[in-house]
Amino acid sequence: MEIKQIMKGVELFDGLSDEELDKVISLCQERRYKDNDVIAIQNSPGKDLFIIQEGFVEVAVAGRAGGTSKVIVNLGVGQTVGEMSLVDQGPRSATVRAINTPTVVQVITHEAFEKLCETNTQIGYVVMRNMAADLSFRLRQRHLSDITG
Amino acid sequence: MAVYKVSVVVTKSDHPGAIVNLEVAPEVGKTLSLGNEEFTIVEVLELMPPRGDFHFLHVTCIPKNLEE
Repeated sequence: MEIKQIMKGVELFDGLSDEELDKVISLCQERRYKDNDVIAIQNSPGKDLFIIQEGFVEVAVAGRAGGTSKVIVNLGVGQTVGEMSLVDQGPRSATVRAINTPTVVQVITHEAFEKLCETNTQIGYVVMRNMAADLSFRLRQRHLSDITG
Repeated sequence: MAVYKVSVVVTKSDHPGAIVNLEVAPEVGKTLSLGNEEFTIVEVLELMPPRGDFHFLHVTCIPKNLEE
């Protein structure tokens, strides 16, 4: 599927005009992974945002002592990974691994994204509002998963 | 273009669940595919009110082979 069509299905960019979306797309770099390839490692530095274009990834979290990691969720096309680091610049909160071949992601670096949001505050506002809504969605999802999962 | 952003919980299985975008609203009794696996939807809830083109749903499902 064409990248613009994928990006229109990404909640983070909902509400952006075609022109604004083109500016975001101009920052994207494609990366391709095979099943079991690691995309991001928990506790490692890394501030880039990943948008899943094709395939699935699993998100796994290890305990504080670095014990066995547990897969907490799988993410499909249109989902994003790394937005927490984009906001708080902290280390990765989870390990992310491709579970399909191919898994294709679009990557936006923290620096490029921040620069775009600073020069175009409308994009910055829309994305930050959507990011807050996405975090709310995930929190609600976790609550229901804990109850029914 | 409506997008159904769906939080999926799988019961009766060790599947971790998923978050996926669907083009068609999920319905109880229908099949949901996650990668190579198929599940039967047993419950659909609205997780948050819709905004723009996006609808936010929560789905509970069971593996297809455990369907009664």
